[in-house]
Amino acid sequence: MAIPARYYDGLVSGAQDAELRYEQDAGGALVVLGPSGAELARWPAGALHLVPAPRGEIRLGANGVADGARIVVRGDEHIGRIRATLPLLAQRQEQERGRQIRLMALSTLALAAVIAAYIFGVPLIASRLVQLVPPGWEDGVGQTVASQIEASIGGDAGLPLCDADPESLANRAIARFAQAALADTNTPFTPDVRVVRSDIPNAFAVPGGRVYFFSALLDAARTPDEFAGVLAHELGHVVHRHGMEQLVSTAGTGLLVGFILGDMTGISVAAGLGATIIDARFSRAAEREADRFAARVAQRLDFQPWALANLIGRVAQDSDFDRALALFNTHPLTEERLRDLTLLGQDRPSGLEPPFTEAEWRAISSMCRR
Amino acid sequence: MWLVPLVTRQKSPTFPIPAPSPNTARIGGSMQTDPNNVTFTGTRWDLAIVLLRGYVLMIPTIGLNRFWLTTRKRRFYWGHTDIGGDALEYSGDARQLLVGFLMALALFLPLYGLFFYLSTQSVETIIIGYGAVALGVWFLYGYAQYRARDFRLSRTLWRGIRFDQGGSALRYALRRFFWSLLNLVSLGLAYPFMAAGLWAYRYRHSWYGDRQFGFTGSWKQLALPYYLTWLAIAALLVAGLVLAQQANLVSAPWEADPAIYGWLVLLVLAGFVLVTFYRAIEISRMFSAIRLGGAALSLRLPALGLLGQYLLFVLGLLACYLVLALGGFIVLGLVAGEAFAGGGFDLDALMASMQSSIATLLAIVTGYLLFFAAFAFVSELVLGYGFWRLMARGAAISGLDSLDGVRARAEDKALAGEGLADALNVGGY
Repeated sequence: MAIPARYYDGLVSGAQDAELRYEQDAGGALVVLGPSGAELARWPAGALHLVPAPRGEIRLGANGVADGARIVVRGDEHIGRIRATLPLLAQRQEQERGRQIRLMALSTLALAAVIAAYIFGVPLIASRLVQLVPPGWEDGVGQTVASQIEASIGGDAGLPLCDADPESLANRAIARFAQAALADTNTPFTPDVRVVRSDIPNAFAVPGGRVYFFSALLDAARTPDEFAGVLAHELGHVVHRHGMEQLVSTAGTGLLVGFILGDMTGISVAAGLGATIIDARFSRAAEREADRFAARVAQRLDFQPWALANLIGRVAQDSDFDRALALFNTHPLTEERLRDLTLLGQDRPSGLEPPFTEAEWRAISSMCRR
Repeated sequence: MWLVPLVTRQKSPTFPIPAPSPNTARIGGSMQTDPNNVTFTGTRWDLAIVLLRGYVLMIPTIGLNRFWLTTRKRRFYWGHTDIGGDALEYSGDARQLLVGFLMALALFLPLYGLFFYLSTQSVETIIIGYGAVALGVWFLYGYAQYRARDFRLSRTLWRGIRFDQGGSALRYALRRFFWSLLNLVSLGLAYPFMAAGLWAYRYRHSWYGDRQFGFTGSWKQLALPYYLTWLAIAALLVAGLVLAQQANLVSAPWEADPAIYGWLVLLVLAGFVLVTFYRAIEISRMFSAIRLGGAALSLRLPALGLLGQYLLFVLGLLACYLVLALGGFIVLGLVAGEAFAGGGFDLDALMASMQSSIATLLAIVTGYLLFFAAFAFVSELVLGYGFWRLMARGAAISGLDSLDGVRARAEDKALAGEGLADALNVGGY
């Protein structure tokens, strides 16, 4: 009994009702017969393959015929007969399925490798990459960033210096400390520490050599060690050019996350969330590096590096909230830093010079009081 | 005789599917007299399975499965759409989409470099630069739309013959770009000219085999309904502004009478209904202007049907989120019972019980994925499917017989995916 089918020759659009017959000889062939019994096509069984089709229908194509040529059969009974007669079809279908799965697996592996290389590789290569950025350019970027920050935090007034006289006792002591901290490094930047008036307890370095120290943080410092520790930490950001590193890696992260989500515009929430997690990881690594720098400075000047964690812990208590969201934090938890810094500061040589004389520290700690 | 057997129908309990119009039209008979020669036989249930499977596979493939999901979705829509008894076939494959996306990446890399460079410059440069890049992306968007349409058409077969699209994506994008600028400057008054012009460009450069499509529509068919809608929307806007002015909404938003907000919401809804009515008219009239040799398409897209789909979408989304929220609370209650102790909810206690930040991250990611998967699922299942079905139901083609002698053209192999469209988030089936 012949199977009713629909036949498109792939050359002319007139579709034809047809009957299918299977001929065993010469490797087997599927013969398409028109309504009048005339032979419309003869497709060798070895050339046949299935084309994706909805349930309850199969569509056959063949190699060596027009690429749109199809035999369409509908109805479960007929489909069953065709599949039984041509087990090759199922094999081909399996092969194609395997190809698709392999492609999917391969591209997934490639993507996973890119992600892993990015997450683990960027902290390693970012510092080298940043060495390629001309210091002059970084200085320019730093000035832009600084003016943006001053405008956004300080408003129209900007961030006024606590003590505008560069030759005052406090400013000279701070400048001398910064010079001493950067003495052994080959940084191309001249440090420019600015103690400014602000209610926010904070200190940060921008690209280039500029470091901001806010009066609220200075007021919270109880010992010269705490102040020296935080300042050394921020100078560590300058030496390692972390500000520039962060700019580079944020751009890279946006690209990567956009690639995963297929949204290169990067405006979706998922893109923002993913980028935040990855960038926060880099940022924590940078913070640890700056802590280690502060500990190295403490090998040459007499202050306890863990004091910096004390000061930071005093102004920013870690809540349960921070602990639960630690992966989103740009800074390591204070207790971890305290532990690491204590370890780093264990074997400090004795007989070092203190970072500030008592008179200097008095001048520094009162420089923002009116 | 070869009859068109109906695909086995499965009814999902959640989505009532109206009985299909019995279409047992004989193939090769006189199709002109059959007003119902376009049918869509896909069920929401089948689509739901395709979608769910696709979303689940998205996780182990880090999102790459989206190319396969798109392909399956298209096979579903195409394969269940019968014209004169013969279904459309989507012959594209996921690999082409993947390759296309990689090629689009190559275009985006320098753009990214530009963005990076701009972000380090002074504020004025940033604003000017970003504005220029936004204009560039707006231009690229039109280019991507046209290329994506080319990709879909050239991978659509009917009766063994491919569709195709000629023309130049660059020219189309330029037209669209300058028209949309003019439209912006003229407060939307230029729209009918822009719409008719772009429709005409698209269809006059479309092909079925060796036969070129024609387009008989013009701005005159859009002008009256468009300008009426425009006036009505303008009136609504004025009414809303007057209302807000009188209630001092701008200076004291919290002291205003809540009823005012109710009225404002009503105004927005009224505007939405008006726009939907206009959209239905535009789609109906423009599609009805499509010709292919002796064949002509006529389409009646019912605005009420569209509104019904929107309503169903809102209800479906609400139901979905209700279920997700309940599930979320049950899970949280099991994981962090103490946060709910005493009938209240204590965020600090909840955070305290999330000692490891990995657990928090997992919770956030899972919640996020579920939230957006639910949105994508319901919008595709209700809006995407609903729109396609309304289109198929409202469509009829006269003079199908005239297409019998159309010859195939060589396959347009120059197209590699529609990566740009994918990368730019260009929607569409």
